[in-house]
Amino acid sequence: MEITTFVASFADLFDETPKSEIGEGTDFKQIEEWSSLLGLATIAMVDENYGVRISGDEIRESGTITDLFNLVKKKAAEK
Amino acid sequence: MPGEGHTAQPCDLTDDAALQQMVLSLDSLDGVVFCAGVITYLPAQFTTQAKIADIFNVNFNSQIILVQQLMKKKKLNKKASLFFISSLSSQLGIPATLLYASSKAALNAAVKVLAAELAPQKIRVNAVCPGIVRTPLIDAAKDVMEEDKFNEAEKEYPLGYGAPEDVANTAIFYLSDASRWATGNIMILDGGYTLK
Repeated sequence: MEITTFVASFADLFDETPKSEIGEGTDFKQIEEWSSLLGLATIAMVDENYGVRISGDEIRESGTITDLFNLVKKKAAEK
Repeated sequence: MPGEGHTAQPCDLTDDAALQQMVLSLDSLDGVVFCAGVITYLPAQFTTQAKIADIFNVNFNSQIILVQQLMKKKKLNKKASLFFISSLSSQLGIPATLLYASSKAALNAAVKVLAAELAPQKIRVNAVCPGIVRTPLIDAAKDVMEEDKFNEAEKEYPLGYGAPEDVANTAIFYLSDASRWATGNIMILDGGYTLK
């Protein structure tokens, strides 16, 4: 599981924010475009690409995209 | 369930053969409540054929096949009442509910057609569209929505979120002769949510 692929998939969920502004260390909830619908899109993307379910609370507890990636990686390993 | 005079017949309604067998084993009925339902919160761009099938097979297809089997096998008494649990989301545009809302809107349309087809036998067909009710299915919402936001959203309901009994009471009314002149109704039950 590559973090660069994860970041690219995550950045692809955004319509307005330039991809250059989204990186491994980005505090994604501070991105102006971030919304609850993008939270649901993140859950759906993770489910589609990695076959694991993350929750709204887990997204809230994640700070950076790396945090999110590590969460998904841990859940995928536990499958 | 407390009390006497009832039996439970568990059945996977998405399994056609099992459904047909279950209907065959029934006595004739004066009332049926159709309440099978599943939900997913999915932004439209993540829709797939498989996800459409997952929702529609339970929320729409299984309910319609159950009605069809009850009709075909003559299990509905004259003056029977059929009652469907739909959803307020079928009337709104809530993001990420494309499949769930559409499946319930399809049910609403079915209620009207069935009401017209079954009226000659004085069989009535109605539905209720509840807003948010605190049920185990809501755990699916909590899974994708932060709990404090979920509780905060209750302020949008002048009478607060509903309880399962609130929906059950509408079923009692629509199953009883108290509603004998009502058919094809799609009742809104939302604690005042859509007043604004």
